[in-house]
Parts: sequence; structure tokens; C-alpha cells
Amino acid sequence: MKIRINGIDCEAQPGEFILDVARRNNIYIPTLCHHDAFAGEARCRLCIVEVVERGRSRVVTSCVYPVAGEIEVATDTEKIRSLRKTLLMLLLARTPQNETIKKLAREYGVTEVARFESDPQEECILCNLCVRACEQLGAGAIYAVNRGVTKKVATLFEEPAEECIGCAACAAICPTGAIKVLEKEGKRIIWNREFEMVPCSNCGRPFATAEQLAFYRARLKVAPDRYGGDRLCENCRQKRAAELASLMSPARLR
Amino acid sequence: MESYKDEDFAAQAKSILERYPREQRFALAMMQDFQRKYDYLSQEAIRQIAAYLQIPSGKIYSLATFYKAFSLEKKGKYIIKVCDGTACHVRSSMQILEEIEKLLGIMPGGTTADGRFSLETVKCLGTCALAPVMVINDEYYGSLTAGKVREILKKYGDGGGADEE
Ligand code: SF4
Ligand code: FES
Repeated sequence: MKIRINGIDCEAQPGEFILDVARRNNIYIPTLCHHDAFAGEARCRLCIVEVVERGRSRVVTSCVYPVAGEIEVATDTEKIRSLRKTLLMLLLARTPQNETIKKLAREYGVTEVARFESDPQEECILCNLCVRACEQLGAGAIYAVNRGVTKKVATLFEEPAEECIGCAACAAICPTGAIKVLEKEGKRIIWNREFEMVPCSNCGRPFATAEQLAFYRARLKVAPDRYGGDRLCENCRQKRAAELASLMSPARLR
Repeated sequence: MESYKDEDFAAQAKSILERYPREQRFALAMMQDFQRKYDYLSQEAIRQIAAYLQIPSGKIYSLATFYKAFSLEKKGKYIIKVCDGTACHVRSSMQILEEIEKLLGIMPGGTTADGRFSLETVKCLGTCALAPVMVINDEYYGSLTAGKVREILKKYGDGGGADEE
């Protein structure tokens, strides 16, 4: 089916979300809480767009709005910009020092919010992506606790995370960089816990925590020595894969 | 009210947990059972529920901190609820509260070190005619003044509470 986004004809599957169609067609819609792997949070509301259907215009959240009919979408109208401006004003009030939010806010003409009391330390916008990343890739060590103005992402009993495997998936996915990871001298510190890191057996760079490797091995049910005891960092793994591929290339084999 | 005992807690917990299938949708019901039986959710209770449901304990902790119905700390023997509903508020319930804070040295949400009193504020006890009101366990005290509060708390102090067993 066809939909029009900012006057451009786009092919869309029924049920597909507007945001995905737009991205495929290189049409920019700002988002914070959206990640392709963990879609559907719909918390930041920054992805709002105007949809015109049967002559009526509505503001919808494009990351969770499924295409059902032949619609006309506008992503950057006067109205949308002014609504996003309000959203960013509120976000900036929450995280006044965060660079990601500051930059986005500036793009919408918000530089400072005097109306609210802000915590200069706060960097989290409560998008929930880290919680989902930890549940899926890690051990389920962080969740949202409390509610209302005291809501935050925290570890069990707000103590150094005992379940945590130190994978830092939470920090990697965070749109604002709110989760701090410190890596030095072969150690990684995250969620108030210190982890020993394991060096890559090829280049020697510390690349993962021991807990992380054990966790993945258990999950994948592979024995520790399955690959000749090799523990390769991402770079070396890619290099090795490329080497293997070239060794096995038809040109060579011939 | 029963108290959490270390030795046989796993067995006690089991008797609550096994009333339910191992499904996440029963988590709240289990938590309520623990809260009812022990008056609060201990860390161990949270762990036991999570282990039974085979989910991370953090998930139960998240629920427990979301709902006001759950307490994560052991409450005092006497729970003082000071009403700060509209009627009480206009009749200076805040002064009553301040008096209690001063006398016991705790803030709302707190419990005295000797485990005797917990202090809370509530939004309307439904007895506005008696404003300002507080209730200690199930005993109501109305038309309070700072002086009255001192007298009442004395009754609950060491040397015998109003309903000491
Ligand atoms: S810490 Fe980052 S990823 Fe987690 S909820 Fe806050 S903003 Fe989102
Ligand atoms: S990206 Fe749609 S609400 Fe955040």
C-alpha cells in the first residue's frame, strides 16, 4: 500500500509503523526511546507526526502507529514543531546538563527552562531501553523503582548489582549516556560493582568481563574450550572471520 | 502479626507461594500475602517470590516500590497515622505532625530506633468532624492539640501502651 510522507510516496506494509516506513525512505523523525531491537516503548513522544486520514488531521506517535490505510503524513509541521518544543522543554527541565537533550532542545529553540527546579545530576529520561536490554541481553539486574517524581532505574534494593554480569548493554543502548561505565587497568566499574576484565587472546585488549563470558556460555550451552579456549574481542573476531572467508574463497580453493 | 524468622523462612514462604501457580500474574497476590502476614516485605521475601516465579528479584522489587500498599521495612509496634486531608490540614494538622516528629525524632515514613512507633501521614481518615485527627493502630484521637498529642504518646511510651498485651 502507498502512503505519503512529507509529499513523498512511500511503500508500506499494513501494520507497519510510520516511523519504520519513514526511516526506510530516509525521512528523519527525531526519537529518543526507540530502538529497533526494543520497539514500542513510546515514552518520549518526540516522534509525533501529523496524520491526515479521510480529511481529518491527528497527531500520533509514529513509533507505534501502524499504517492501516492510505494516509498522508507530515513530520515537521508548525504544529509538530511546537509540540516537540514543549516536550523538549520538559525533558530539558528534567536533565538540564545532558548533552543529547541540550542539543535536541536547541534545535527546537529551547535553551533554558526557568520554570522548574531541576537536578543538575539527572541524565536519565526514563525511556526504559536499558531495562529491556538488560532483561534480554544481560541478567535482569536493573528495573524501574518507585513512581512519580521519584521513579528511577535502579538495581535490586539499590545496592551494588549482584545479578549484574557487567556486560554494559544498558550503557550502550542509553540514548542520553546516563549510565556510567568506567574502564581502566583491566577493570570495569558499572552499577557500583567492579568487574575483572578478560583479555582478548589475540591482541590482549581487555574486552569483556569474566561473568559476561560465563553467562553467555551457559546461555548458549557451549563448553568453555569449544573454540580452543580462544576468547577474541570483537575486532579480532571479525579479522579471523575475514581470514577464514578468504581462505575458503572460491578463488583460493580452485 | 508474625515476624520473619530466619531458620524456617523458606518453609514458611513455601506455604504461601505454593498456593499459586508459577505465573508472573500472581506476583502481586503473593506480595500481598506476605505483607498481610508479616506487615512488610523483607528482602528475603522478595527473593523467595522471585525465585519461585523464576524471574529476577529486581522485578518484584520494582513492583514493591511502585505500590504504596507495600512496605519494605519493618514497621513499629504502633503505627501513627496523622491525617492531612483538607479538613485536618486547615485545622493545622501540620503542627500536630511537627509535634510528633519532634517528640519521636522521626519523619513520616520513619520508625523509631526502638521499633515502637512508625509515623505516616494519610489523606483523610473519614472523620473530618474530629479534625485534626490521628489514629494509632486502631485507636482514633480527634480534636488534637500539641498538648494532647504529648499526653497520648506518653500512654504508648515505655511503661505500657494503651493496648499493651
Ligand atoms: S538510564 Fe538511559 S536507557 Fe535507562 S531509562 Fe534512563 S535514559 Fe533510558
Ligand atoms: S520514539 Fe516514539 S515515543 Fe519515543
